[in-house]
Amino acid sequence: MGAKLDEIAIAIIRALQKDARASFAAIAKSCNVSVDTISKRFKKIEKTGVARGTTVLLNPKSFGYDCVASFGIQADFSHIEEILHFLKKMPHIVFSTQTMGRHSIFALAIVKDVANLNQVRETIKGHPMVREIITSIWVNEILLCPENFDLPQPSGDNPIGQH
Amino acid sequence: MDNTDLFIIETLTKDARTSFRQIASALNVSPDTIIDRYNALQEKGIIRGSTIVLNPKEIGYGSMAVFMIDISPVKENKNRFDSSLILETLIKMRNIIVASKTVGDHDLLAIGVAKDFRHLFAIRNEIAAIPGVKDMEVSFWTEITKLSPKYFVI
Repeated sequence: MGAKLDEIAIAIIRALQKDARASFAAIAKSCNVSVDTISKRFKKIEKTGVARGTTVLLNPKSFGYDCVASFGIQADFSHIEEILHFLKKMPHIVFSTQTMGRHSIFALAIVKDVANLNQVRETIKGHPMVREIITSIWVNEILLCPENFDLPQPSGDNPIGQH
Repeated sequence: MDNTDLFIIETLTKDARTSFRQIASALNVSPDTIIDRYNALQEKGIIRGSTIVLNPKEIGYGSMAVFMIDISPVKENKNRFDSSLILETLIKMRNIIVASKTVGDHDLLAIGVAKDFRHLFAIRNEIAAIPGVKDMEVSFWTEITKLSPKYFVI
């Protein structure tokens, strides 16, 4: 399972994880290849689905969202899909998924303040098939470390980018 | 933030590599204006950074998990491992992509990516071995849904 990446593809990913606007010329120089090679390889990384694109990471606080919270939801098995559908339509829910383990559903919300969080919580709790909801408010640093992803070992046979 | 800032943010959220010249010509201003605005947005902390959004499944990660961690109360915790120290350790761990202190049912929360069950267990054991970690609950999922990557990339 999973795509094979060669050293150039890995160098591109590692550079763009730190700064998505990193210059291809600089990456090319560090890999000792042409800028054209880097730009073609990057297109291939996107085309094969290894990357979904590039984005800027915004600070929710700058947009008036002071509070990040996650919910662990318990629900009847037969209604999980229905609840997920309900959650996906809620404007403050940025992530929701069915889980195994402690909860049936895990969801993440970005809200203006604690009062707003309570509204969201009440709305979820108001769903007739939700049995229990546990709320955790995230405080302090919310650290994002995309570079903690281990990439597959460089591979010589049929890596991304070979024509 | 004015409309120029919002346009820059919106464009770069969709594709962080959009050239400043392209944004400038769409807004009918000079590229220098866009560069200055972009730098200011970063300085003010509105834009925290930029990154490539990987598809975990394509690089061999079949599942994700949330680790809900409880730490020992200071009384039982002779070495006074505080939550900041544990958070720092967590975020340096391979495969942990988001971590935060939390108020509510647990003290800390971390989200990680795992290749398979064996890997998931290994990550869990690694977290359990951090001094000061008392208890942990885990929920995991395999369907990696697309998330609006505005504030978080999961």
